[in-house]
Amino acid sequence: MKAFKISCHSIVLLALLLAGAVGCKKTFDKEPQQVLDEVNMYRDVYDADAAIIGLYGKFVSLADKYVLLNELRGDMLNYTDNADMYLRQLSSHNVTADNPYTNPRPFYELILNCNDVLKNFQLMKRDNKMKEAEYNQRYSDVGALRSFLYLQLGIHYGKVPYVTSALATVDEVKNKANFPELTFDALIDSLILFTEALPFKDPYPAGTTLNITSDGYQTAKFYVNKKCLLGDLYLWKGNYTAAATKYREVMETSTNGTQGARYYMQYKLGWNGSAEDHYITYSRAGDATSLVWEPQWRHMFQRGQDNGFDYEWIWVLPFDSKFQPENPLIKLFSPVGGDYLVKPSKQAMDYWSNTPQRPISGQTGFLPYDARGIFSWREIGGKPVVMKYLYNYINYATNSAVNPLQKNGKWFLYRQTHLHLRFAEAANRAGKHKIAYALFNSGFAAAFPPPSGVTDVTLYHNTLWEPYPFNFDARNSGGTGVPYYRADWYRNLGIRGRANVQNYTINGTDSLLQIEDGLIQEAALENGFEGTRWADLLRIALRRNDPAFLADKIYQKMLKDGTPDAAGTRARLMDKNNWYLPFKL
Amino acid sequence: MMKFRIYQWLLIATLAVTIGCKKDWDQHNTVSDGNSGKSLKTLMSGINNLSKFEQLLAQSSYANILGSSKSFTVFAPTNEALISLDPTITNDTSRLNKFLANHIADLRFLTTDATDTLRVLMLNGKYNNFFGKKVEEANITTADVVGSNGVIHVIDKMVPNRLNIWEIISTTNEIPALQQALLLKLNYQGFDPSKAEQTGVDPITGLPVYKPGTGIVPRNKYWDRVYDLRNEKNQYTFFAIADDAYTTQLNTYKPFFVTGNADSTNDLAGYTIVKDFTMPGLYTQAQLPDTLLSKFGVKVPVNKANIVKTVKASNGIVYVLSNLSIAPVNKFMPIVLEGENYSGSSHDRRSNTFFRDRINSTTGLPYRDVLVSGHGVALFNLRYRLSEMPSMKFKAYWVAVNDFQTATFTQRLAPGVATSTVFPYTTVAVNNQTEVLIGEFTIASFQQVYDIFLVGANSTTAAANPVVCDYIKLVPSL
Repeated sequence: MKAFKISCHSIVLLALLLAGAVGCKKTFDKEPQQVLDEVNMYRDVYDADAAIIGLYGKFVSLADKYVLLNELRGDMLNYTDNADMYLRQLSSHNVTADNPYTNPRPFYELILNCNDVLKNFQLMKRDNKMKEAEYNQRYSDVGALRSFLYLQLGIHYGKVPYVTSALATVDEVKNKANFPELTFDALIDSLILFTEALPFKDPYPAGTTLNITSDGYQTAKFYVNKKCLLGDLYLWKGNYTAAATKYREVMETSTNGTQGARYYMQYKLGWNGSAEDHYITYSRAGDATSLVWEPQWRHMFQRGQDNGFDYEWIWVLPFDSKFQPENPLIKLFSPVGGDYLVKPSKQAMDYWSNTPQRPISGQTGFLPYDARGIFSWREIGGKPVVMKYLYNYINYATNSAVNPLQKNGKWFLYRQTHLHLRFAEAANRAGKHKIAYALFNSGFAAAFPPPSGVTDVTLYHNTLWEPYPFNFDARNSGGTGVPYYRADWYRNLGIRGRANVQNYTINGTDSLLQIEDGLIQEAALENGFEGTRWADLLRIALRRNDPAFLADKIYQKMLKDGTPDAAGTRARLMDKNNWYLPFKL
Repeated sequence: MMKFRIYQWLLIATLAVTIGCKKDWDQHNTVSDGNSGKSLKTLMSGINNLSKFEQLLAQSSYANILGSSKSFTVFAPTNEALISLDPTITNDTSRLNKFLANHIADLRFLTTDATDTLRVLMLNGKYNNFFGKKVEEANITTADVVGSNGVIHVIDKMVPNRLNIWEIISTTNEIPALQQALLLKLNYQGFDPSKAEQTGVDPITGLPVYKPGTGIVPRNKYWDRVYDLRNEKNQYTFFAIADDAYTTQLNTYKPFFVTGNADSTNDLAGYTIVKDFTMPGLYTQAQLPDTLLSKFGVKVPVNKANIVKTVKASNGIVYVLSNLSIAPVNKFMPIVLEGENYSGSSHDRRSNTFFRDRINSTTGLPYRDVLVSGHGVALFNLRYRLSEMPSMKFKAYWVAVNDFQTATFTQRLAPGVATSTVFPYTTVAVNNQTEVLIGEFTIASFQQVYDIFLVGANSTTAAANPVVCDYIKLVPSL
């Protein structure tokens, strides 16, 4: 009886304590019951497709991280007064281990997802749940995505564990006994080995289930381009001819079928004389107020997935109010509907303002700035704002949101100018300086012109004496020329030609380094803020073993923006070990 | 025993429930001052030395306001401070109301809020400066007596009810007569739709129709163009000069305002003198620098030794000086007309007009200019409109950059009318980026509106008749 009494009291006490302590808990939270069990996940090719879409869906959530790591660490993007200390650390290269922006865990989560999908694809193939061709396409895509992620990790962290087996949790990666850290160089070797061995390196062919149009977007542009990735890996490695070969294959993507706009334009930086063009142009040449905003150069960042978009872009992922996740780039960049955490640096503005345009023919005066700057950033409410990512959200004519709640936009990863600049970088290092020069200035026809008075262009406008991949034929005889030529590359404009800026000046005899400097400079002008700046600077600094190449640029950014401790940052970056972020999972 | 224990458990349980839900946050910032329950009215009777102020309040319309539930700040002068109060104020309720209202403010201002000078809006619409333990000239002897509806600060001086600068100018004789007369002559009648009575809506234009004669408000050119000296919220420093000094200045400036009418000339010259006599902000005599820069960029030399009278105003300070002279050479600034900001053109040639961005190789600075080329019109011109041009001689310069053709061409400036031949055609050399002196011209009489034309050659040939201009500069030749 006594025992009963005590237990009765205990129960009352317990119940009442619970009532007091957890009175506010939401007891109605229930786990969802409709969960797909692992064993039922991979049954046929459509399940495989769903897995791939799932991977890319998760990949999209890395967009802000990718842009911040690659641009804020570079010299063209800086933090605003709104930024927290972690963004400031990233910009000033004194990152502490607790910095959430530099935590590699989200990369590894996705990598482990890739590993799991790869393992299951192999099982599906073994069990005949997927055809050989279907397997090859899908396995290669996921494998290449994983290689892309590892390349990013290598660029930012230097030494990272290379995990290719399916693990249940990221914490298992921490076990250094099982997964030793690879140096960046060894990592690239492993990545080349793996990626080169992938059975399928083209985009998903038309008619396959992953190359469709969904919610108004061509899914074909969602997936990593395996040849571009391989080119990049070879370029990092220093295997320039192999890199150029991969890039060239992408450049020739559309060299088949009818010789029309797609044939001459796609990935060839050609013109078409139509709304697909991405020139810098003025409706009245010489009148600065007549700069064309739509279509032309700016429009490539805004336009829907039409032909003009298709000819320019190689890899883009959309953000749309119709699906998750929400666009994180508006929060980063926009003072309208966003937090405005980062802004263009003065250094970036100077790149554009110090690059003069071409004079109108017959005149000597010229506009003293590169108009791509006007399109890449602008002032909104007195604040400098990076605009490239915002053209689907902010109306360029009014500076206000098209629809404040529809935060549409795009994550730009790769386009034809990246491709051409990197091909040129490889060609330049392979000793083909003039080909590199042609690609980023005014194209082949301008770089290899016939002597004056010569109308037969058979021996000009081309580099056909070079072996593949350096043999370009851009011969153009004109409509009445004899013999008649309209070669595959005759419409190639060159990056500076398309942007209406004067050719890059090469003085003296050392073309190699000057052209390389010019290519990196051109990447800033043409592809600024598109997420490749840090990687570009790092690649050159590593190749030349010249820390000052990188350190000086960051120093200039901080100096011009009045960021404290510019000299200290420069001193830190003169030590190669400080080029990489602390790796802490 | 068992019963007792059950009650014990119940007690613990009740406590557990009540404590578990207690909202500590609600109480974290409540004031725990002993006076917090009492109104200012109750509090005041408990403070020594405020009986006189209380008595005045009781006589006035503010008798009950301090017992109300709004929030106030009261600067309460002690009995000693009120001894010197003019008895005519005490006996006149409307003046008494104004006097007391100058000691009471809406909202609660603690001395800890006044770490920088606060302009506190009082109930009479004036602002008093509150900084630390001072309000205007009075010291706060007992600060921050907080009640349920505000705070009392006990002060050792009254805060006098002052006029604002415009009231001093227009209703007193504090400033010298000639200048006062001039400032009042700048009055005019303006229309304020918010004060007008609307009688309907025009069915055609959709605009409101007002009853004739309503909405007419007094305005003054000085308020519009220089500073609105009635504004209580801001503070200004206003200078006035003695009549003889004013007359001397007037005679200096009259030749620049030649009109058909002596009065007009006097008014224009007078306005030119006084427009630089107001500075934003309050400069005490100790703070006055020897030179101030007026709103119009004119340097105003102030010799403190010349100050003959100082009048404090509710929105600043007025200094009367025996002399303050500004030479015309300092008063009349060069006029720069940006080429691209033209007011009109003789023909619509937008498609031949180029707004060009360039960097000047001489100065290294970026500029934008205008080029009209290939327009096909003889004597094509761009018109630049100026207003209120004084009668004087000007030197004219331009920067015109011919970087678009290898041939030179000619263009000319035509002051007044497009056909003026005051200036000959001037050759625009190739790539000359420097300022070119075109010559001098005289405006004989004051002009409310004045045009300058940039005229192309009398030719229809594209290479001969372009018009190009970065800027035109007119420098007073004094």
